Amino acid sequence: MNTTFASLPPAGRARWPKYLKQFLTYSLMIVITLVIMTPVLWLLITALKKDVEYLSFPIKFLPAVPQWNNFVQVFAPKYHFLEHAGMTFYLAAVFSTLCVLSSALGGYAFARYQDVKASHALFGLVVAMIIIPSIVTIIPSFMIFAKIHLTGTYWPWILWGLAGSPYHIFLFRQFFLSFPKELEDAAEVDGCSPFSVFWRIFLPNASAALATSFILNFIWVWGDWLTPQIYLRADNTTLAVLINKVFTNPQGNLLTTLTVSAITIYTLPIVVIFFFSQKYILRGVVTSGLAGR
Amino acid sequence: MNTTPSVRRESKPLSRSQRRRRTFFLFVSPWLVGFILLTVFPLAFGLVISLTNYDGLNLFNLHFTGTKNYVTAFGDPNVQYTFGRTLFWAALNLPAWLILSFLLAVVANQKVRGIGIFRTLFYLPSVIPAVGLVWTWKILLEKNFGLLNAILDFFRPGTAVGWLTDQAMYGVTGMAVWNGLGAGMIIFLAGLQGVPDELVEAAQIDGANQGQVMWHITLPMMTPVIFYQLVMGLIGAFQQLTIPWLATTNASVSVPPRSVYLYMINVYQQIFGVGRFGYGMALLWLLIIVIFALTVLVFRTQRYWVFSEAEEQV
Repeated sequence: MNTTFASLPPAGRARWPKYLKQFLTYSLMIVITLVIMTPVLWLLITALKKDVEYLSFPIKFLPAVPQWNNFVQVFAPKYHFLEHAGMTFYLAAVFSTLCVLSSALGGYAFARYQDVKASHALFGLVVAMIIIPSIVTIIPSFMIFAKIHLTGTYWPWILWGLAGSPYHIFLFRQFFLSFPKELEDAAEVDGCSPFSVFWRIFLPNASAALATSFILNFIWVWGDWLTPQIYLRADNTTLAVLINKVFTNPQGNLLTTLTVSAITIYTLPIVVIFFFSQKYILRGVVTSGLAGR
Repeated sequence: MNTTPSVRRESKPLSRSQRRRRTFFLFVSPWLVGFILLTVFPLAFGLVISLTNYDGLNLFNLHFTGTKNYVTAFGDPNVQYTFGRTLFWAALNLPAWLILSFLLAVVANQKVRGIGIFRTLFYLPSVIPAVGLVWTWKILLEKNFGLLNAILDFFRPGTAVGWLTDQAMYGVTGMAVWNGLGAGMIIFLAGLQGVPDELVEAAQIDGANQGQVMWHITLPMMTPVIFYQLVMGLIGAFQQLTIPWLATTNASVSVPPRSVYLYMINVYQQIFGVGRFGYGMALLWLLIIVIFALTVLVFRTQRYWVFSEAEEQV
């Protein structure tokens, strides 16, 4: 390769003026956004229709009059939407708090106690458990929890929370690895107990990891359908299970547009959480290469 | 630590390494105890149940049937069918998801003003929970009242494809791919940003165009990422249950149609629908073995097709 050729700019740049290239880039991105967002837009439009409008053939693209009342109807006492929203929030918050604390403690031990011989073998086990899908343990666990009469209660979630999660232990370990060694040495010289080194020095400096872990856990419980479907009763189940069948007319037929309105309300908090904390969520996704599920 | 057995704990204070060992186990004990009680024990319990005729009610009339459930599973046409369907699901989903999320990552990697907003919007479908996802797509794919058939009808009048009934495999694939795009994009984006600039610049100086840079530099550098996504995707295909189940069932249809009758759907149906706990547990254990074998197989063959810098230098 001779040097005069190499000093020429790449062919593409010379021919396309910069503004035209930018215009094309933006047009492409807007088109892609529209294609990706079409299902969401259709959801919002359908949420504002009357049920007869949804059930008309050929379809009506827009509601004659936007039915804002649908969003009020969702909260009608007979559907128990608000009650179950509270239960779902409570379950998600309790589970997430326990799981975050337990996983942080485990992740801390795996990051800062590597001189202990067993730690590497045990951490291998943690990583292996990330690959094992939860679905293969949920079903046999159900038989055990049923035998000790804990199905239909929130106790399984409390126990799962206390046990932490391999994925979140991994997350915390990666995070705590980056802390300087001097930090714990200084604390130890000052006479801090091992637990207070963790609790008073490491944990307060781990707010980013704590936020990531809490948000991912919360979104998981809020969105999980299978576990509450198997484990919980109709009167204490989460929104994910409730929404699917609760919106019916007195004849027992499902009201699609009301369900879709409820889906909008159900999904909105997750979308809002995402908008305000995307850097935490995306860090969790990138660290593991998994979507945190 | 090697001297531990000879040390009398009461007489001498613990050495530093002993104290650290004790603290370590104390700190990981919530996970360790939970792992034994909530993972190992249920799995072992499931294994024992899989060797019995347990149907959920006959605990006092239980007898061991040995490997009968496993032998039945291998001869069960239903199992063979669902296994085939799952492989087909993976063959349909994984390439579509990998290619589309890679292309999306390339678009999201453009260095222009406001790219953050576009990335956020591209990622949005991935945060929608399963039930939200399914309903968003149900009203899109519904045979008579859905948007997709209405649009298709515009071009080919009389179109009424059962995207959630007889063609459910394709309908459900659509929603699953849409749901996975954002997560795939973010992971590929991290990979794309990890490609060293000097490599790309060197290639451009040598006269490579954008397509050649992509094919000869970016893609080979990304093979570890693609490989990892492929393994996780395969494992994911075998545990796929919630989305196809919710998308295709309703008040009048209690079981998903045959076209999307995946392995895990059959397991769920055997256990909670028919009450064949023992048989269902055997199917679950076969699944664990398949997942394990897949993981080992792909990791073993990794070096034949995954780029690594160390080998390149030889």
